[in-house]
Amino acid sequence: MRAYGISPEPMSPLTPPPSERDHALGPPDARVTLVEYGDFECPHCGALHPLIQAARQAFGGNLRLVFRHFPLRSSHPHALAAAKAAEAAGEQGRFWEMHDRLFRRQAELEDEDLRRHAREVGLDLERFERELRSRAHEVRIREDLASAAQSGAHGTPSLFINGEPYQGSLERRELFAALARAAVAMTS
Amino acid sequence: MARKTGDAAREAAREIGRVTVVRLTLYYLMAGVLLLCLSALIPHGPISPAPGQPPADMQGAISWFRGQVAVFPEGAPRWLDALLQMIAAFLLVLPLAFVYVRTRTRVKFDHSLVQTVIVLPIVVTAILVVVRDSLALAFSLAGIVAAVRFRNNLKESGDAVYIFGSIGIGFASGIHAISVAAVLSIVFVIVELALWKFDFSAEFERTFARLCLPSGADLADLPNLREKSSTPMPAADGADGDRTAVLRIYVDKVETARPAIEAVLARDAKRWTLERIGDGGQDPPLLTYRVRARKSVGLDELRDRLLREGAPHVVAADQVPPDS
Repeated sequence: MRAYGISPEPMSPLTPPPSERDHALGPPDARVTLVEYGDFECPHCGALHPLIQAARQAFGGNLRLVFRHFPLRSSHPHALAAAKAAEAAGEQGRFWEMHDRLFRRQAELEDEDLRRHAREVGLDLERFERELRSRAHEVRIREDLASAAQSGAHGTPSLFINGEPYQGSLERRELFAALARAAVAMTS
Repeated sequence: MARKTGDAAREAAREIGRVTVVRLTLYYLMAGVLLLCLSALIPHGPISPAPGQPPADMQGAISWFRGQVAVFPEGAPRWLDALLQMIAAFLLVLPLAFVYVRTRTRVKFDHSLVQTVIVLPIVVTAILVVVRDSLALAFSLAGIVAAVRFRNNLKESGDAVYIFGSIGIGFASGIHAISVAAVLSIVFVIVELALWKFDFSAEFERTFARLCLPSGADLADLPNLREKSSTPMPAADGADGDRTAVLRIYVDKVETARPAIEAVLARDAKRWTLERIGDGGQDPPLLTYRVRARKSVGLDELRDRLLREGAPHVVAADQVPPDS
């Protein structure tokens, strides 16, 4: 099965590599770093989300997850606002809580929904709304988009395993095998 | 987080164990006091005091035995005697029903069996009070029972033990051997709770396998033996299902990873079998185990320990549902 949303065109190694500016989950010295370019309104990203959570459980400290924004504004009108909401949550140290919530509730991405998510995640609402209105986070999102273009990612979700593009299917067995292959390669 | 949950579950399991034992002990004490009070209220009949040694003749021996074990000596009106014995049977069988409810999962639980276990000894006691020493009545009863067909498939073979236990209590109560019924009830409850709590059968499965498998055979052969004997592992279900799973463990080298994995499983899994060793060409080696985690550990913690203690050879432990 080919992955939906994955570009058939060849991708390049990840540019720039993950750094401190990225949102990362997992130990920095993990054997595998999985970078996802994702869009909160993309159904394929939503379908991938539980699989990535399962991978985090299965690989434990061997896996580090990095998320970069790739809002496809032409087809997903709420994607940019959702990405900004995640960044605003990140300012209050709740990026991953908001990230998980947005992927779980992809049908609820209107402005009012985002405010409700922020409230339920436990954010300071006044600060959240102030940051949503500012353009500070848009810069960061544009940087992520630029890095996606540099790395040859044309759709979502696009995955990079230890810097190399993953173009296999998004089936559990195949993705996990690729992650395990990368982990073993790092050991030997 | 997972550790915290595991600790909480472990603590809860211990707590439930203590509460169960305390409740049962209190219950038996109260039941004993009640039975002794009832016994003191009725007039004592001719069988006590009994002689120190059993007489040689059968009737004398039976009377002697009754004298030894009787809580309610004969002498009360027959209806009162029967009522007291039935009360005793009821009081002594309740812990069996409690243990049955406590040790069964939702899927294995048979609601009607609880009622049967409670009512059966009362009926058996009443029958024995009616039959007494009459051979003719005993044959009549056998004939009546043979004429009525009782066909019922028990959900679990272990349920039959409860039926037998219940009949045993009824029998003992019916012949005035209340103390024997009490001992049966207590021993039954202790053994059943111990078997449930420590799950001896899981340990013995491996012990027997070690003893019975041909010399040099591997424990991994167990699944094949199990398939041949057509006794599959229990399916995942409600409360139990969260401890049974298939773990697909990615490793760097089978020969170095396997001992580490199996050391953890031997310690932290109640049952485990190696189902497959996959060497998928370009893919890293994959060991597929069917496991049932210990109640005190849980699947999440078991997986964490496999990763932690199997490092650096264990790369990932992917948990998939047991039917996959």
